[in-house]
Amino acid sequence: MAAKDASDLYDKVIRVTHVYLGPTADRFIARQVEHHLHKAPEELTRADLSRLIDWIRIAMSLLTEDSEVIEEYAEQLHKLTRDNGKSKPATGRGA
Amino acid sequence: MAKKTIDSLTARAMQRYVILALLYIVLIFVLPANSHAMQTYHLSGFEYRVLYLAVAVPSLVIWFVAFYGYARLQEYARVIKRAEEAPAFSQLARGCMWLAWSLPVSVLTAYVLDAIADQWSGFHAASVILANYTTLALPLIGFSIVGMASKELIGRMNTRLSPMNARGIMLFFVVGGVLYCYLTFRHLNPGSLGSAHNPYFLPIWLMLLTVIIPYLYAWFVGLLAAYEITTYSQQVRGVLYKQALRLLIGGLVAVIAGSILIQYVSSVDPSVGHFVLDYRLLLIVLFRIVTGIGFVLIAVGANRLKRIEEV
Repeated sequence: MAAKDASDLYDKVIRVTHVYLGPTADRFIARQVEHHLHKAPEELTRADLSRLIDWIRIAMSLLTEDSEVIEEYAEQLHKLTRDNGKSKPATGRGA
Repeated sequence: MAKKTIDSLTARAMQRYVILALLYIVLIFVLPANSHAMQTYHLSGFEYRVLYLAVAVPSLVIWFVAFYGYARLQEYARVIKRAEEAPAFSQLARGCMWLAWSLPVSVLTAYVLDAIADQWSGFHAASVILANYTTLALPLIGFSIVGMASKELIGRMNTRLSPMNARGIMLFFVVGGVLYCYLTFRHLNPGSLGSAHNPYFLPIWLMLLTVIIPYLYAWFVGLLAAYEITTYSQQVRGVLYKQALRLLIGGLVAVIAGSILIQYVSSVDPSVGHFVLDYRLLLIVLFRIVTGIGFVLIAVGANRLKRIEEV
C-alpha cells in the first residue's frame, strides 16, 4: 500500500513537471530524487516533497530566469502536499 | 568517462574544422591563381589570392559554426541516449553533420577541380560535372537522414500532416520546382537530347535523371522534414523544453532552407569554372550566412536542451 502511494505521488510529480519540462520530466525528477534525496524515485514520499521542491527551485533557476514559471511550478508541487494530491496539474504558461 | 566522450565530440569536430580551414587557406596560396580571373579583374597572382581569401573568410566562419552546431547536437543526442526520443535526435545530428560537411567539401572540391581545369583545359567539362554532383550528393544524403528523423519525431506525436498544410507544401514545391526546371532548361537545347553542349556538360536525359530529379527529391524531402519538425516542436509539451526546442528546430529549418537555396542557385546558374564576382557569388554567400545562422541556433538550442538533462 505504501509502495503504491509512493508510486502514485511520483507519477503526480512527473505529471506536474511534464507541463514545464515535457519529455525530459521523468529523467529530471529521477535525477533530483536520486542525487539530492539519495533514494530511488519510486520511494518518494509526501514527507520528501518539501525538500524536493527546494532542490527543483534551484535546478529550475539554472534553466530559466523567468521566476513566474519557477513559482508556478513550485506552487503546483506544493498543492500535491496540501491537497493530498487531489488537485489537477496546471496547464502551464505557453504550454 | 561519459562526460569525456561527450566533450570529445565537439573537440573532434573542431579538429576537423581546423584541418579543413587550413587546407583551404593553403590551397588558396599553393594552387596556381586562375588565369581567366586574373585577366578579367587585372590582378597579379598575389592580389588574386588575397581577394580570394577575403571572399573565403565568411565561408570559414560559417564552416566553424556548422561544425560546432552539429557537434553540440551530437552531444545532446549522446546525453539522452536512453530516452525514447534519442534515436530521432541522433539521426537529426547525423543529418546535420552531412549538411555541415557539404559546405567545405563542395567548396574545396570545386576549388581544386577549377585549378586543375585552369592548367589543363581538357579537364574543364569534367571539373564542372564533378563539382555539380558534389554540390548535389552530400546535402541529398543529409536531407534524407533529417527526413527519417522528422518521421520518427512526428510518429511519436501520433499526428498526421493536415490536408491544408499538405496542399501548401505541394503548392510551394510545385512552384519552386517548375521555376527551377524553367531556369535550368533555358541553358539546354531541347532539340538535341544527347548533346552535352551546355553549361552542365551533360546530355539532357542524363541531366534530368541524375541532377534535376535528385534535386527535386532532395528539396521535397527537406521541405517536408522542415514542416514535420516544426509540427513536432509545436505539439510537444513543456514550457522550458519547447523554448529550447524551438531554437533548435528554427536552426534546422534555416539550415534546410539555406542548403536548398545554395543548391538552387548553384544548379540554376552553374559555375563557369573560375572565380567571378557577380550576383551568383553574392547570393551563395548570403544563403551560406542563412545556413550559418541556422547552425548557431542549433548549437544554442542543443546546449539548452543538454542543460535540462544536466541539472
